[in-house]
Amino acid sequence: MAQQILATTRRDFLGGAMGGIALGLAPGLIGSAQAADDFKIGLFYAQSGPASLFGPTQLASAQLAVDEVNKAGGIMGRQIKLFPTDAGGPPADTTKSAVRLLLEDKVDLLIGSHDSATREALVATIKSKVPYIYTPVYEGGECSYNTYVIADTPEQQIRPSVTWMMQERKARSFYLIGDDYVWPRKSNEHAKKYIADNGGKIVNEEYVPFGAPNKFEEAVTRIKSAKPDAVLITLVGADNVNFNRTFAGFGLDKEIARLSLLLEENTLKGIGADGSNNLFSCMSYYANAPGEANKKFKDAYFAKFGDKAPQLSIIGTDCYAGVNCAKALVEKAQGTNARALMTAANGLTFNSAAGPWTMYGQHVDKTMYIAGCKGTEFEIIKTIEHVKHGEACKAA
Amino acid sequence: MDPLIVTQALNVVYGVTTLALLVLGLAVIFGLLGVLNIAHGEFIMTGAYCAYVTQANGWPFLAALPLALIICGALGFVVERGLIRPLYARPFDTLVATWGLSLLLRKLTEAIFGMGFYNVDVPLPGTVALLGTDYPAYRLVLIAISGAVLIGLFVWFRISRTGTRIKAMVGNRELAEAVGLPVRRLATYTFVIGTCLAGLAGVLIAPLVPVQPFMGLDYVLKTFFVLVVGGLGTVMGVLSGAAVIGGLDSVVSAAIDATYGYLTVLVVAILFLWLKPRGLFARS
Repeated sequence: MAQQILATTRRDFLGGAMGGIALGLAPGLIGSAQAADDFKIGLFYAQSGPASLFGPTQLASAQLAVDEVNKAGGIMGRQIKLFPTDAGGPPADTTKSAVRLLLEDKVDLLIGSHDSATREALVATIKSKVPYIYTPVYEGGECSYNTYVIADTPEQQIRPSVTWMMQERKARSFYLIGDDYVWPRKSNEHAKKYIADNGGKIVNEEYVPFGAPNKFEEAVTRIKSAKPDAVLITLVGADNVNFNRTFAGFGLDKEIARLSLLLEENTLKGIGADGSNNLFSCMSYYANAPGEANKKFKDAYFAKFGDKAPQLSIIGTDCYAGVNCAKALVEKAQGTNARALMTAANGLTFNSAAGPWTMYGQHVDKTMYIAGCKGTEFEIIKTIEHVKHGEACKAA
Repeated sequence: MDPLIVTQALNVVYGVTTLALLVLGLAVIFGLLGVLNIAHGEFIMTGAYCAYVTQANGWPFLAALPLALIICGALGFVVERGLIRPLYARPFDTLVATWGLSLLLRKLTEAIFGMGFYNVDVPLPGTVALLGTDYPAYRLVLIAISGAVLIGLFVWFRISRTGTRIKAMVGNRELAEAVGLPVRRLATYTFVIGTCLAGLAGVLIAPLVPVQPFMGLDYVLKTFFVLVVGGLGTVMGVLSGAAVIGGLDSVVSAAIDATYGYLTVLVVAILFLWLKPRGLFARS
């Protein structure tokens, strides 16, 4: 009896599930029939989770680029249709969305603005089947086939800023603190090499669990007693805010300089004026960076989104560059054939908020800025032009 | 004594007392009314945004306290009347209802203030020399306030008429009603006291953390762990739970690192749920 009930229930359940799958597929099929001409781009960015504070500017900046490209005739005459997809959760959730985008929505290209753990999972899922453009600052080393990186690399971000801290701010000893995942650990490997090259030493290296409700009184006390000249921070988002506010609260900001490797406008707003004294950052874009290109970009951004425009930051402008990179890449290759794209990527020039960028070796050379915090604003201290990306991807 | 050890010892005291302050509101609502208030963190968040609004308008920091009490109190009143009242004695349903409430409060905050971080200036910047080390002045004040609130609540609950009535209601609801106590109104009071305490904690913690819509999530887990360890319905339970959870977290974080601190908290919470599910000082 019980078995029979169980069997019936299971059959009903299966029937329901099949019906559900059929229903779920139907709109997808109709949708693709209607808009066969659209160039479909899946955009991975943070709609949820700890990085979701970047979400609004990621989407807005990408949307601005899509509008501009579509107004200028789209990609090879096809209008871009954006598929905004959440990448703020665990990597396994994002790869599931990627499978759906590939099989059901049949996207032509993917753009990713998310952490490195998710990137590694996505590369393994996409298997070079569609071109994948990765945008935010990262730890280097991504050379997968049909993958194009427009992010700041360690040679561009970490080497110049660490060298500057040591040569011009006379920092000899460093304390490394970061979140416990692939980006901070690999970035610190690079940093240790650059610090050693300049004859400095590492006092201590510690990591806090990524995504846990961390507090930093104990770590800051350890730093206080270790007395380094500088702290190199690879904490992200709320952890970065918490740490820096605690650090300044304990009064260490006067004697010990801090260099944060992911410090942009949103995070600095959280850290606040009373936490940002003697704190430095190095990026290829700040909202107040000089230059015609940035002025033009900002005019368009604020014309489109008005007073309610999300806070500008490099995390967003790199999405803007990502969409422009997609257009240039596909048009130069005359389609999305992987081999043609890989060939086209060498010497490819496309537009970014910082002006035109040229890609070779699947990466981009850039102008880098070293900035200090003045209250909740960045003040550019040093501009370094044409910094080579230094990644050694073998040409495919 | 070694200033490093003194500072780490102060960190432990700070960790325990602020955790006790953060947990008080939940201890009242969950401990006395049996409502599994998943939205506790969002009431803390509401308090923190009150501190931000106060600063944005150029009012003094202390003005955030009455503002948070009014807003969290009114919110608590509406929620108790509209959402919780039909669900007493159905703990699982209160969990689902308050989970929905937490989403609503978070999205409302997002709609009003956006997703971005805000910061609240520390009202007492700088450090104070204490026992041969420098410790942040505001954190010392926070330790004192937390202690005072804890003692105040303990005394009030012991000697006030309302406290006695609440105890009667919690002890035996039917009997309390039979002898003419207004139990429905008492339950509303109790709930509002709980949300006010959460709002108060939010104001006080705001200068130390990023003020953002997701901040409440940071507190839910730890505050529930405190009650799991300490037990429900007693002030001693709150204190001992905060001492075990906050103390272990701080001591292990100081001795090894934050990963082991977090791990220890999780293991201890699981052990208590498994071996001593009523906690250390449960209401008899």
